[in-house]
Amino acid sequence: MRTKGKILLVDDDPDFLEMHKAVLGNHGYDVLTATSGREGLERVRAEMPDLVILDLIMEKHDAGFSFSKTMKTDPLFKTIPILMVTSVAEATGHRFSLEDDGYWMKTDDFLDKPVMPDVLLERVEQLLKKSKERR
Amino acid sequence: MGIREGCRRVLAEEGYAIDLAEDGNIGLEKVREKSYDLILVDLMMPGIGGLDLIKKIHEIDPEIIVVVITGYATIETAVEATKRGAYDYLPKPFAPETLSVLVKRGIEKRELRLEAQRLYHERELRLLELAGEKSRLRTIIGCMADGVLVTNLERQLVLWNASAAKKLRLSGTDEPGKPLSHYMKNASLIESLENILASKDDNVSMISREIPADDAKSVLMAQMAPVRDEKGTILGAVTVMRDITKLKEIEKIKSQFVSMVAHELRSPLAAIEGWLGVVISGEGGGDEEQNRKWLIRAKERAKSLLALVQDLLEINKIEAGKVAQKMEPVSLNDIITKIVDFFRPEAERRDIAFRLNTSPQLPTIRADVQDMEKLFTNLISNAIKYNVDHGSITIETTADKNYVGIHVQDTGIGIAAADLPRIFDDFFRIENKKTSKISGTGLGLTIAKKIVDSHLGHIDVTSRPDQGSTFSVYLPVQK
Repeated sequence: MRTKGKILLVDDDPDFLEMHKAVLGNHGYDVLTATSGREGLERVRAEMPDLVILDLIMEKHDAGFSFSKTMKTDPLFKTIPILMVTSVAEATGHRFSLEDDGYWMKTDDFLDKPVMPDVLLERVEQLLKKSKERR
Repeated sequence: MGIREGCRRVLAEEGYAIDLAEDGNIGLEKVREKSYDLILVDLMMPGIGGLDLIKKIHEIDPEIIVVVITGYATIETAVEATKRGAYDYLPKPFAPETLSVLVKRGIEKRELRLEAQRLYHERELRLLELAGEKSRLRTIIGCMADGVLVTNLERQLVLWNASAAKKLRLSGTDEPGKPLSHYMKNASLIESLENILASKDDNVSMISREIPADDAKSVLMAQMAPVRDEKGTILGAVTVMRDITKLKEIEKIKSQFVSMVAHELRSPLAAIEGWLGVVISGEGGGDEEQNRKWLIRAKERAKSLLALVQDLLEINKIEAGKVAQKMEPVSLNDIITKIVDFFRPEAERRDIAFRLNTSPQLPTIRADVQDMEKLFTNLISNAIKYNVDHGSITIETTADKNYVGIHVQDTGIGIAAADLPRIFDDFFRIENKKTSKISGTGLGLTIAKKIVDSHLGHIDVTSRPDQGSTFSVYLPVQK
């Protein structure tokens, strides 16, 4: 069976990994998971996913940033779109936006946690489509 | 009447403005209505006697020059009059020149007095006397812990104390009365004072301003108020300064704590909402059984959220000073036994054994029973959570003449040396492969330490990764 795409979820919260996996899996995506930035990079190298969904604050404060920086500066992986999911916006009272922070965040899109299933599905579809068009 | 008219003609020629009155009462009426520099009073008059008249005139305006005109037979009365406030006397009959000269002298005197008054008032306004004043009050101001500064309308510094000099790093203070900028460069303070001094608003009572101190590390709180005289006229401004650097640090720590709390609360809540979203939307594609499992996951996060809130309330209670309240002699052995019994079923599930090496004869400790129960609950709960299956927990007591020691030792995963310094910090949890399945709020040890500290004891920990940890609580012996 052809899947709609291979998605890697990187999040240290096991609940988010499972719930996003359930929703995405149910809609025909092939879902991989990782619970840390390091594990996530290993999976990227091993599996070459079509999209990475990343939780910003993981074990260290800049874990999310350094993960995306590594991906975007690697010629093999820089075309893989990254969707960053974060609850940092409210926690630090700072709204991230692609316009202000995109240049150093090096991600393709942001969503605020918790992400509702319909929003997640829609955003994933958009990003995969855009990515295919670029190739 | 002849004298009145005669004097009027003589003095009018000299250029003075003249008013006439036929008797004392009419004269007083005029004095009430108009301002006079000099009054000529004939002592022999019907109605009010001349001597009384002098008194009444000065009641209205003490600065009026009064010259009494007397009959030659009444020199004693004239002398009496000068004692009562008359400037001089003029015996009848008198030549026009004599009158002229006397009035001229009187007017000169009047002008001198007005000038002196003006200078005195001016000096008062300038508050410059403050700079030279040496009084008991000045000594008290000098000893105040808060900094005090007084500036006058000319923006000169007329008063300061040692504390102000130190806080603002004043220089050149051997010369008082110079403009404020001569002594210090703090632009923020100078600007605020300018606002107070320039204010036309009678109701301006105080400005409060946080001023960064020149050393760039401290923060001062300056409270500036206008100095007013009895009439409400602004004479200057008084500034009181306090170092609030510590307060600001505490503010910052509190704010960070609130931030951390919000973050910690958000995680479980987001997970609960997420699970509910999956079940309600049906997008997860789960059947009834699967949905039930997901709801159970949501419930577990809700439980951990409640535990967190519980711990936060506990911490708040401690911060509010509501611990160590009900101090009484306690039997640590009883408390420990109670907690161990409570946790035994949980420990047995993982085949973890309790070993109690407690001395039956411990010196008396005064403590709050509830706090002690909470303390040992947290320590023993950790000893189980971070332990390995088939491991053990040993609880030992020691005592010297000052402290009783309770040592909780486990055979668990231990703590890395790098993590030890932070082990009692708020929300600090070790996150690695070994701890990923262990739930907790990160506040258990924080609370334990706060309880021990409020009992004037201390707590510390020794540990080796994979070899277990020992938490030691020392509580003061009741003397």
